Amino acid sequence: MKLVDLMPVVDTGKCKGCKTCVRVCPVLAVKIEGKVAVVDLDRCRGCADCEQRCPEYAIAMVRRPEPVSVGVNVDELDYQRIRELCLKARFHPEQTVCYCTGTRADEVAGAILLGAKTPEDVSFMTGLRTGCKVECIEPVLRLLEAAGIHPEPVPDGWQWYGRTVTAWEIPEHVKQKYASRGFYFDEDIEILDRVVSAPLQGKE
Amino acid sequence: MRPPIAPIPPRQSMYGIDPSLVKTRVSELPGMTSVTLSELFPDLPPVIYPGDGGIAAVRKRTEEALKGIDMSRIKPGDSVNICASHHGFTLLGGEPYAEMLRTIRDAIEERTGCTNIRLRAGVGLRFRETEEYIRRYKLDEYFKGKAAGVAPVDEGVAIETEIGTLYGIKKIYDADWIVHAHNSDVREVHFHRMVDRAVKPFGMSYARIETRSTYHQNLGPRAANFIARAIFDSPFVQDKFAFACFLTVAPHGILGVDADNDLYSLNERITGVGCRYYGKMMTLLGEIDDCIVALDFPCPVVYVFSAGVVYANFAGANTDLFDLESPLPAYTWYTESFYGRKGFPLLPEIPKLNPAVRMCVHNYAWTGYPSAFFSEHIPTVVVGSEQADLFNRDPQNLNYMKHSVLSESTESAMDFARKATGVDKVLIFDGAPGGINLSPPLRDFLLSRAPEVNRRVEEELFPKWLRQRGVFATSAAA
Ligand code: SF4
Ligand code: SF4
Repeated sequence: MKLVDLMPVVDTGKCKGCKTCVRVCPVLAVKIEGKVAVVDLDRCRGCADCEQRCPEYAIAMVRRPEPVSVGVNVDELDYQRIRELCLKARFHPEQTVCYCTGTRADEVAGAILLGAKTPEDVSFMTGLRTGCKVECIEPVLRLLEAAGIHPEPVPDGWQWYGRTVTAWEIPEHVKQKYASRGFYFDEDIEILDRVVSAPLQGKE
Repeated sequence: MRPPIAPIPPRQSMYGIDPSLVKTRVSELPGMTSVTLSELFPDLPPVIYPGDGGIAAVRKRTEEALKGIDMSRIKPGDSVNICASHHGFTLLGGEPYAEMLRTIRDAIEERTGCTNIRLRAGVGLRFRETEEYIRRYKLDEYFKGKAAGVAPVDEGVAIETEIGTLYGIKKIYDADWIVHAHNSDVREVHFHRMVDRAVKPFGMSYARIETRSTYHQNLGPRAANFIARAIFDSPFVQDKFAFACFLTVAPHGILGVDADNDLYSLNERITGVGCRYYGKMMTLLGEIDDCIVALDFPCPVVYVFSAGVVYANFAGANTDLFDLESPLPAYTWYTESFYGRKGFPLLPEIPKLNPAVRMCVHNYAWTGYPSAFFSEHIPTVVVGSEQADLFNRDPQNLNYMKHSVLSESTESAMDFARKATGVDKVLIFDGAPGGINLSPPLRDFLLSRAPEVNRRVEEELFPKWLRQRGVFATSAAA
């Protein structure tokens, strides 16, 4: 759940239409119109990525007159299906996958059950990836993949490039080669597996 | 009574309140004292900074360290990226790191005739942070208009590694050669566990979001450190890597400068320094049974320094952060993610945040790092409504103030903390160079425990920590 109470304001006098903000926005809320950036405030989730990367310092974040709360209420969905999806992606359903918004794996799974097909859809519906914008892309890609969805990166965008390796996919020869260097590959898998299969806290 | 040490002053930044709003430093309150780290551990080695030689000592040591470096592959017409990270600028006011960067630039130009030398400075989660440092230390002028801050959301480049495709920041690698300019301060030991410390920026400040998310979400708390090695060992990076140059840092200051064409040799050396000296400090801080913590430093909550150690480490000092047999420190993002909806760990063995921290007085610390986990689990008093407003405007900290209380002044916050906890030990995270600002009872406590901690680290823990990392005491000799 995220309270969106900030919004960007573009200084059209400074904006050079470089598209950086368009390329980084995690919910595709920015377009270039008439050579300047225009934000769709109904889509914007107030992450400040555009403000933080604009090379011209043309964007300021201000308070929204009417904050909006976004999130997926998992209580209204079939939790068994949510749970299955999380387990398939090797997440405990209650595991936090976005540290800034506190979004849990079950909410991402819920968004997917509600029709999310891309990381941008998931961010729009849950608020995930609209805090630091850095740490939570891979859980989203893993959960989408578990649902049989293989999204394509946004053309010409820098939002994300692709799913990467997980603990369970590290090749055995790599584990062997570096066994004495302090990486503890198999021991970490054992912990991750135990977390995934731990009992639910919120439901039981 | 020993007077407090002058703390690192507040800094102008978009991530912190205006320095004029920091009316009182916690160390200025009546009755505060200090202890130097050499009083605690008399066998700490000498430092070059702070010291009589001033910042010139850093230049001199950098020049000396670079004399042994082979730069013959860099040709006059080539381009070189000196890759830096925000973290170095948080050490002892930042000038030593800035001076090392300037000196590396001068040495490359002088030795190779190459003039297309750029500074590329990566960040953590505050995308403008190194842009601020570049301005502050006038590095863009020094690099002749070729200094840039880079962020993990910037355009990426795919890097093929032993464990599949990972992604770096394109601007880090857009030169013929890269020079890795970093430091050996351990800082996030809760994440990297002093495994491949020297290599870490390749998986972090030089990396795209996919890579950083892999580190923090896909591999596990110890295996994650392999990410940086996988990227560094890739043919793509090896073809560009020229050499590394590091400030070698201990909790009480800068020991010197180390450079090497072989990053892994340098890594072995700094692993020894890090485990030994930071290990002593952290083990000693882990002895504290109860205290009030005061945050008072120009960095996000987790990164404020005391005794060269960051608050995030102290919040996990109830476990041995260097012991790799213990998988989950009380604070890492894996640990945080393993708390269920009711607010308890999903596995019984997950340690709680350091119960010795009875209350946290947030006098001055920045936004720009998700910190709600701390205020949710440690009673926190934030000083000043401007600071509260700043946190409420930070997309990474929308929940921080939900769990904190507000106090109008440093005096009233500390007074409240003392009365509410009944604790008289106060540990101040204000970056006091070479020592710790603290209350007299905590000074007495630390002085009484330090000799035994010193013995335990030297005789038992340090050898074990090195063994766990496959590092031998001879190559790690400090
Ligand atoms: S990043 Fe800045 S300059 Fe570029 S299009 Fe967006 S608002 Fe305009
Ligand atoms: S979601 Fe973020 S990047 Fe997109 S318009 Fe809103 S503040 Fe800018």
